[in-house]
Amino acid sequence: MTSIAAEPSSRDETVRARINAMKLWARRSIRWIVLLILAVWTTFPILMTLSVSLKTRAAVGTDPGLIPSNPTLEAYAGVIAQQGFKGAFLNSVLVGLGTSLLTLVLAVPAAYAFARYRFRGRHLLLLFTLLPRLIPGLGLMVPLYRLAVALGAIDKLLTLIVAFTGTVLPLAVWLLVGFFQQIPRDLEEAANVDGANLFSRVRYIVLPLAVPAMIAIGVLAFREAWNEFNLVLGLTSAPGSRTLPYELFLMTQTTGFQNSPGQAAFAIMTIIPFIFVYLRIERFVVGGITSGAVK
Amino acid sequence: MVDVASREERRVRRRAERKPASRPDGGGLVGDSRAMPYVLSMPSILMVTALLAFPVLYAVWGSLFDAQFLGGPVEFVGLQQYIDLFQDAAFLRSILRTTVFVSGVLIIGMGLGLIFAFALNGAAARLRFMRGITIVPYLVSGVATAVIFRLILNQEFGQVNRFLALFGVDRIAWFSDPDMAMLAAVLAQVWSDLPLAVLLILGGLQTVDPDLTDAASVDGATGWKRAWKISIPLITPQIVLATILLSYQALTSLGVVIALTGGGPVDATRTLPVALYEKAFVELETNAALAIVVVILLFNALLTLGYYAFSRKYDLESM
Repeated sequence: MTSIAAEPSSRDETVRARINAMKLWARRSIRWIVLLILAVWTTFPILMTLSVSLKTRAAVGTDPGLIPSNPTLEAYAGVIAQQGFKGAFLNSVLVGLGTSLLTLVLAVPAAYAFARYRFRGRHLLLLFTLLPRLIPGLGLMVPLYRLAVALGAIDKLLTLIVAFTGTVLPLAVWLLVGFFQQIPRDLEEAANVDGANLFSRVRYIVLPLAVPAMIAIGVLAFREAWNEFNLVLGLTSAPGSRTLPYELFLMTQTTGFQNSPGQAAFAIMTIIPFIFVYLRIERFVVGGITSGAVK
Repeated sequence: MVDVASREERRVRRRAERKPASRPDGGGLVGDSRAMPYVLSMPSILMVTALLAFPVLYAVWGSLFDAQFLGGPVEFVGLQQYIDLFQDAAFLRSILRTTVFVSGVLIIGMGLGLIFAFALNGAAARLRFMRGITIVPYLVSGVATAVIFRLILNQEFGQVNRFLALFGVDRIAWFSDPDMAMLAAVLAQVWSDLPLAVLLILGGLQTVDPDLTDAASVDGATGWKRAWKISIPLITPQIVLATILLSYQALTSLGVVIALTGGGPVDATRTLPVALYEKAFVELETNAALAIVVVILLFNALLTLGYYAFSRKYDLESM
């Protein structure tokens, strides 16, 4: 806490400069150490999982090092051959794509209306910011389960898509409204003068400009569907209708601590495809996450 | 050509100005039907109402009923479900455990979140790369997070115990010691939600005017002093938001906890979401489960209330 200016023995300019340089160096190295810890904190658990997934069951105990001495894809083959994995993977992909698509189809027109028109009911936009905060997915698990049973909609992929869309839609609309508002009205007015109607204006002016936002929303919706656990727990029970998180949960319940490589391989296969997608479009997604979080 | 266009534009504007009440800033463009905004927004509004608002009303309604025996006909019991819940010592303990869990997530999560965000804020050149890494846990599902932590915290071969052994710490029984199991659940939850906190705080730090901190360091303020006296007061909104977000996530976290510890050992990590899961899908008493849903929603509403009181105070809409 000693301030540089109050240092009594720093009459000599060069001494003072050297102290400053050392402090700067110390500060920089602390920063790099913290960043190193951050990198380890984030990546190490995944690397460790990757490492376990490449070992045999026997080697997990005998060869605890991070780099497996005899890497094998046995665990992956085991999981893929396991009953239910392929079906769950396919379900996850279908539900993810379906949720992305349905979210965009519903969110784009609604966001356009909220962004461009002053109409009664515009205050309902507040509903879209308030409800998802008031009602987390966990709160919907049991009520939606009961409703789905009553409607005979249990164990259907479409039910999952609709339910996930309901939970993602508010954030999607909210993000898109902000984005549409940034598109200058003048562009649309000019097109209007040239005789473009609403649909061609949206099709040729608004949508092409909104592509980055729509990609971000599509990915966020996909992530939600891909990772959601609570609602899948509530809305599916039959084997063959589950998605990956539920199937992985069941595997942890049935194999306990016995089949660590298998569980690791399963986890890696749910994580890796998505990380690759994400890394390609990271800049869109981060903006979407943080602005959604703030608002 | 230019003349014609501008005359057209003026006509458009004049029309817009003629109806200021219904279309203060022009509303839709000429030729759009007045019904258009309703047509465009109705599907989304219906969807959100049907899938978010209605199930909650249904939960409140359903919690007022009970079946005499499992699978039997339900009858109206008023608030009996709630009375039963709050007389159930196990349920009260799960509320207490949830409080411990949420507090643990907040203490560790906000501590790490602040440290990491400050470190990232200075590393301008490498920021993009590091920010990309920071977000990775956000992409991992709660269940997969639990699987990962079961591996790294494994008593026999887990890397955490192997690392601690270097400092002479005996193998920690992460999943059979009740306190350690709670700590394991907290760590997994923090790992999963830290990206949100770090990115939020980092976003705040990046809006702090560098002139302010520069001026302070000219006046002799050290790094810590600059952080405490200048940066942290300026990013209070983001810090409070991150706090609320982390508590919201922890309060409603089921996948992480149940796949990591299953609520055990001996109920040591049986938080409210786990109690809800067991009531609904193990004991199959869904009406009682609906009462737990309402209790969780009320706790959550308190958080949301805090959030809105706060965002109004700091005018977050303009952020």
